[in-house]
Amino acid sequence: MRIAVLLSAGLHPVSGAPVLPRIEAQAIRMGAGLGEVSDLFGLHAGPDAAAIAEALGQGLPRIEHVAVAAGDDPVPALAERLAACAPDIVLAGRRSQGGEESGLVPYALARTLSLPLVSDVVAAAAEDGALRLDQSLGRGALRRVRVQGPVVVTCHSDAPAPLAYAYGRARRGTVAALAAAAAAIPAPAVAVEERPYRRRPKVVKGAPTGGSAAERLKAATGESGAAASGRLLIQPDPEDAAREILAYLRQIGVLAAPAAPKT
Amino acid sequence: MTSVIPLTTVFPGLVWLMAALALVQVARRAALWRVGAAAPVAWLDGLAKLPRRYLVDVHHVVARDAYASRMHAVVAGGLLAASILTALAILPPLAGFRPYWFLVAAAFAVTAAGALLVGARRYPAKPKRLSAGRFQILPFLLVAYAVGGTATALLLALGGGGLFGSVALALAAAGGLGLAFEVRHGPMRHAAAGALHLVAHPRPGRFEGRPDTALQPLDLDAPRLGSEMPADFTWNRLLSYDACVSCGRCETACPAFAAGQPLNPKKLVQDLVAGLSPAEPPYAGNPYPGGRAGQGERGALARLIGPDARIHPDTLWSCTTCRACVEECPMMIEHVDAVVSLRRHQTLEQGALPEKAVVPVTELRQAGDPGGRPLASRTDFAAGVELPRIADRGGAEILLWLGEGAYDLRYGRSLRALVRLLREAQVDFAVLGPEERDTGDLARRLGDEATFQALARANIATLATHRFERIVTADPHALHALRNEYPALGGRYTVVHHTAFLLELIRAGRLNPGRLPDLAVTYHDPCYLARYNGETEAPRAVLDAIGVARSEMTRSGRRAMCCGGGGGAPVSDVPGERRIPDIRMAQAAETGAGIVAVACPSCTAMLEGVTDRKAEIRDVAELLLQAVEAGR
Repeated sequence: MRIAVLLSAGLHPVSGAPVLPRIEAQAIRMGAGLGEVSDLFGLHAGPDAAAIAEALGQGLPRIEHVAVAAGDDPVPALAERLAACAPDIVLAGRRSQGGEESGLVPYALARTLSLPLVSDVVAAAAEDGALRLDQSLGRGALRRVRVQGPVVVTCHSDAPAPLAYAYGRARRGTVAALAAAAAAIPAPAVAVEERPYRRRPKVVKGAPTGGSAAERLKAATGESGAAASGRLLIQPDPEDAAREILAYLRQIGVLAAPAAPKT
Repeated sequence: MTSVIPLTTVFPGLVWLMAALALVQVARRAALWRVGAAAPVAWLDGLAKLPRRYLVDVHHVVARDAYASRMHAVVAGGLLAASILTALAILPPLAGFRPYWFLVAAAFAVTAAGALLVGARRYPAKPKRLSAGRFQILPFLLVAYAVGGTATALLLALGGGGLFGSVALALAAAGGLGLAFEVRHGPMRHAAAGALHLVAHPRPGRFEGRPDTALQPLDLDAPRLGSEMPADFTWNRLLSYDACVSCGRCETACPAFAAGQPLNPKKLVQDLVAGLSPAEPPYAGNPYPGGRAGQGERGALARLIGPDARIHPDTLWSCTTCRACVEECPMMIEHVDAVVSLRRHQTLEQGALPEKAVVPVTELRQAGDPGGRPLASRTDFAAGVELPRIADRGGAEILLWLGEGAYDLRYGRSLRALVRLLREAQVDFAVLGPEERDTGDLARRLGDEATFQALARANIATLATHRFERIVTADPHALHALRNEYPALGGRYTVVHHTAFLLELIRAGRLNPGRLPDLAVTYHDPCYLARYNGETEAPRAVLDAIGVARSEMTRSGRRAMCCGGGGGAPVSDVPGERRIPDIRMAQAAETGAGIVAVACPSCTAMLEGVTDRKAEIRDVAELLLQAVEAGR
């Protein structure tokens, strides 16, 4: 199995020092833990390889670096290299840290390479030739997905914590500089508006102003909202599922109630 | 036998034979030490200083157990004197001089008395800390050699011989040759290896009266980092572990052992010995708490650390690097160096830090603070107190190094007290503010030498841009790093602990504290101040200057017990049966003092965190400030 881990030049959120984003260190751990990995390597497109050398100490034996000028779009260069080496799994973080943080690179790559993308994965395991991925749905809910590679996987911050950095490994690892991308393609302009951050109170609809603390918490966390009133069916019979959906749609008024049988 | 060769020749011959056998056994051991890495050793200097190191430095430690000291004086002195006198009798004029044999008999009789003292220590019951095993047969060998020797020498003095002479000689030979044989694996190894260890000690500075406690810097370009297997240690370190006499003084001093964490310094050293030599007889002392049996491969190239190896990683990470074991070791073994060397390999080569320590060490590397907090907020504790920045002042007489404790809410109170005292005494001081990074102490104790050196170089570069005369810090860990460990990387500073500096201010009359006779105080020595730097008097003198009723805990000064806060132990958090600070606070409660005075942010945090605490935790600076305010 060949695994590529996409690496971005991150900045520490507090010190601003160039660091490997934590989530990419988690992605490396996830990749290294897949067993029977024949080739695990990092891939970075950017102006400078020094920024991602730290990833070598996290367990990557080698990193491929495609030189791309600052401000240029890294996606074509990454896609070209990934198409050439055809890894079984492309691992990435959810979004970069300290850069634009658009979180779009994995999606753009998946579209270019026509690969499926499984987002927010917290655990991965190889299972008779396929991949078993646990996808985070938030609030601890998980969905188990089985995919047959090749696939792009983005890592969720709830994945196992990164392994410790080992200086000796970083020293032994290699960074291979690949030929620079043929044509410089400026990054697509993202229509964004910048304004200073303002902390806003969280609006909780229908939150009771009185009541006990437990009730207010329940209201705030949505456990008394629509999510709490539904029913979770696990691998239901298709007929039951359809009946359940119809009942729900009728309940919220999308479908008319069944006509009363004539007597 | 006596009819062919006279007894006067056979008897000295026996001693020469013993010496030869002992030499062979030492040589077999030396073949093992030779697998270790090279180390610079000042042989002639060490040899010249051996008697002094033994009679002064070793005696100083051994004498803490008066019985052991007297026992050694009699048995070792007697054994050496008797053996040398007998060996000299190979010269015919001495052999034929009967009064000489009376002298020899007297020396053997002294040895016999000593041998009985050795036996009385182990029979009918030995103290718990001593190892059994081959040590239990030592008294019998000694008694056989000494009694046989006494009888033989008396017969020679009186002109007897015959059958009785043969029996006496056989007894002496059995004991003597047994003792010489035991030089390889048995109790007598401590004498041979111990003497060589004193000559080739890896920290000769220890014997020069200065605390030689700084960890030696690691060459980060070396092909292998740290120690993975016995062959990675230098040869004189391997020799030093062979010097271990299994007396167990280290285990009685070890805070992790007391807390039931899986560390026993004696077993650790014995595991290093057994790891080197597969033929080592089984260990016969107290096990690691939890009772993990020795397992895994053995040999010079066998892995030492691992869940399936000789030493479990939890054992390695339990150490608080408090040096209590080193302080107590009569054989002058450097346990902490061994622990750090093993940790270096785990951290630098394997990335096998304990799970909970990964985040602080990562933040230390990336943000210059183990909590990942902004460096600029280090001075937040001083809200409302004026705290000049050295960059704004263009220099100051005193640079106040705040350390990691400044981020802690509780410790902020101690630092505010210190700052107010400095103001009161009109000291020209300033802080680095956002330029101050962590000293890297935590990373270094956890084996991450690369991060330590990076932080140290950054700090040294920062300090080089400012003008100051001395550094004052309230954090003994920062003090130790700045004073003792930065010089190896090119940063040389005069570093003063705040207690010493405050004492200076009081003695110069710049602080005029009132007296607080109503307070009953006991002072808890921080390891990194007392043991690492030998400073035990200044904080006590400050407490005496403010007139508190001061009492001492049973373990105090250089022999104080650790609070559990050093060496990254709080972040490694290896589970035990008890907590180290709970044990220490129970010791403090024995004094009946209502206040435990501390002088270290780690001790403050650890001791303050004890539940059901009866005593208050106050920094020496806080108490002094109270006294100064009372004196106005």
